[in-house]
Amino acid sequence: MNPKSQRLIILFFFLTLLGLSTFLVLKSLEDNIVYFYSPTDINEKILSNEIDLSKRIRIGGLVKENSILKEGKKISFKIHDGIDEILVIYNGILPDLFREEQGIVALGKIENKNFSAIEILAKHDENYMPKEVSDMLKKNGKWKGKLN
Amino acid sequence: MEGEIELIYEIGHISIIIASFLSLLSTGVFAFNLIGKYPFFSTLIKNFSKIGFFFVLISFLILEYAFINSEFSLDLVVNNSHTTKPLIYKISGLWGNHEGSILLWILILSFFTYLIAKSKSIKSSQFHITVLGIQNIILFLFCIFLLFTSNPFSRNIDPPLEGFGLNPLLQDPGLAFHPPMLYIGYVGLSVSFSFAIAILLNKKVEFDWFNYLKPWTLLTWAFLTSGIALGSWWAYYELGWGGWWFWDPVENASLMPWLISTALIHSITVTQKNNQFYNWTILLAIFGFSFSLLGTFIVRSGLLTSVHAFASDPTRGVFILIILALSTLIPLLIYGFKNTHRIDTKYFIFSKETGLLLNNIFLITSTITILIGTLYPLILETITGSKISVGAAYYNATFSPIMIPFIIIMAFAPFLGWTKTPKKSLLRNMLIIFALAFVSSFIIFKFNTTSVFGIICGYLSILLFFSVGFTFFKKLQNLKTLPLNYYGMLVAHLGLAIFLFGVTGEQFFKKESSSQIKINEVIAIGDYSVKLENVKNFKIDNYLSETGLFKITKAENFVGKIKSEQRFYPVEKTKTTEAGIFNFILSDIYITMGEGNLKDGWVVKAYFNPLVKCLWFGAFIMAIGGILSLLSKANRRYI
Repeated sequence: MNPKSQRLIILFFFLTLLGLSTFLVLKSLEDNIVYFYSPTDINEKILSNEIDLSKRIRIGGLVKENSILKEGKKISFKIHDGIDEILVIYNGILPDLFREEQGIVALGKIENKNFSAIEILAKHDENYMPKEVSDMLKKNGKWKGKLN
Repeated sequence: MEGEIELIYEIGHISIIIASFLSLLSTGVFAFNLIGKYPFFSTLIKNFSKIGFFFVLISFLILEYAFINSEFSLDLVVNNSHTTKPLIYKISGLWGNHEGSILLWILILSFFTYLIAKSKSIKSSQFHITVLGIQNIILFLFCIFLLFTSNPFSRNIDPPLEGFGLNPLLQDPGLAFHPPMLYIGYVGLSVSFSFAIAILLNKKVEFDWFNYLKPWTLLTWAFLTSGIALGSWWAYYELGWGGWWFWDPVENASLMPWLISTALIHSITVTQKNNQFYNWTILLAIFGFSFSLLGTFIVRSGLLTSVHAFASDPTRGVFILIILALSTLIPLLIYGFKNTHRIDTKYFIFSKETGLLLNNIFLITSTITILIGTLYPLILETITGSKISVGAAYYNATFSPIMIPFIIIMAFAPFLGWTKTPKKSLLRNMLIIFALAFVSSFIIFKFNTTSVFGIICGYLSILLFFSVGFTFFKKLQNLKTLPLNYYGMLVAHLGLAIFLFGVTGEQFFKKESSSQIKINEVIAIGDYSVKLENVKNFKIDNYLSETGLFKITKAENFVGKIKSEQRFYPVEKTKTTEAGIFNFILSDIYITMGEGNLKDGWVVKAYFNPLVKCLWFGAFIMAIGGILSLLSKANRRYI
């Protein structure tokens, strides 16, 4: 085989691979991205039927004081963003940093206007606040600066 | 006394300023050397580089002294330390924060520059000056970054009696060593970068110079491998989520340079062998460093949410972004203008060259898919304002499929010869190991899983085992004459096979269950049952502990006892979970305990993780492979 056709084969192979991976990337980005909403956003979207109930979303906010209820493994609590709130229902172990007025992010779906969570994240930085939640609070003018 | 202590920090601060001046002077020498050559330039830049390192070291030691003695007149110590902390975490507290970790970065960078300055293996003084020049430019940029945006010696006028402590999640031996290892890897890529630019800047092409890139890239790679593995191991036992890789932006930030440096090692091998991939190797070395800077940017800017997110400060992000842009764009411009070098040697489709070319193509493609997944949320948020996250599902759908042909080619590679391979023997060898792997993977895994990926992954790991074993078997007659770097390659590939073995077990045969149990109640997990025997409360060092004692049995037979802990750190007002892990040789049972009380019981989550140890053991073996290769005669000569 001469070098030219060899190079063509390699080029062809590379382009095929590039096309295939672009396809995979775009396809899975479409299927697998998860949108983040604040309690205010989500309640508006439920009212206006703007939300695809079959898709997983993430919501975030501060855990409302005195709203945590435990019945065996089932836990329910409210999260708020200083303006609106939503009830979250969850089965499982709460993360280490879960406590009242703590910023959390929950992954799950909307069911009967409540949020049914499959994962609760209290991912945090040195100031113990998820970035989405601090951004949201800043937007709503409820940001009190660093906690702790 | 007070005054003396204050003076020490002034010295620490000034040392960094002096070091940055020395690196600026070295940069000046490098620039003048482009215009006129004088023999003393070489001595000058070498000495500047050596002295610079000692000043950085002084500054580092002074800061370490402040951490060990809990000197609360430094802001950094107040924010990240506490008198009751065990010594090891006082020491590691230095790099558990932004300012200190950048100082550690600078220390490693200047140490590597020192080593290059001392190197006797570099014969051409022009080449030596250029390499040191580039290293010093990078060093200067980072010193400026430290001094202007993240001064570790900033003081507070009114020292408090006690510090805020270190994030308890970071108070762990695994994490004490994780950042330095990763940083050695990241910074090592700067050396490959400097050598590549120096090759590029030289008018005459010296193929011999590529040999200098190899040991540094191997060092980088070995440290990145162990650093990433250590981080993953820490996440596994410390975060209590029962997983070992979360496709978190910060994890991706370390995986991307790893993939690039893996590609670089393979590409340099071809260039060393027959001068092929000349331009490609240079390009990879440039991008390797870009990715290591991108990693620093992602971690330090706080623009992406992550488990690891540290302090976020936009000015720091912008500064790193500027360094990133400079060190990518300028080299690419030089590359575009200078690079007219072409080599037309012939090789055939069935050859090692093709194998290594494919290796590089797959590694780069997978890096790009990770890059897209990591940066897409950032880009989308900037453009549309909507916040999204890209989770594991994305990577499973993109990264994993690319790895399948990659591993197959990897299994092929040892049977391929340079330039040309007799097709008959190749086919025969391949058929043998394909068939052997097919049969044995079914015997080993039994595959009572529905997951196609699980079956493929298990098969590939066994295929790789056979490929390495078969290669070794074929060389049995002349084991003594085989160079050490050949063994290094085999060991590293074996490490990946072990790792994949672990992935198969952990991802596809894992069992988990959770429920709320009271004392003396049982939770079933696979063939095992776990009984909560007792819950006790302790006060230890700097935390309070609620410890659950569990008994594991299998079909009424006693297996073992373990404890799982919830810790509360009063200083930091934080809880952490210490998972209870019962170790079998390769597998483990993993138990986490949530909140609870005597009346209602405790929420307990239990996992059976088959073969999970192979993940870190495999990575460790890979790193050993890298070090073996580094120590071989062929590479040692060029350090």
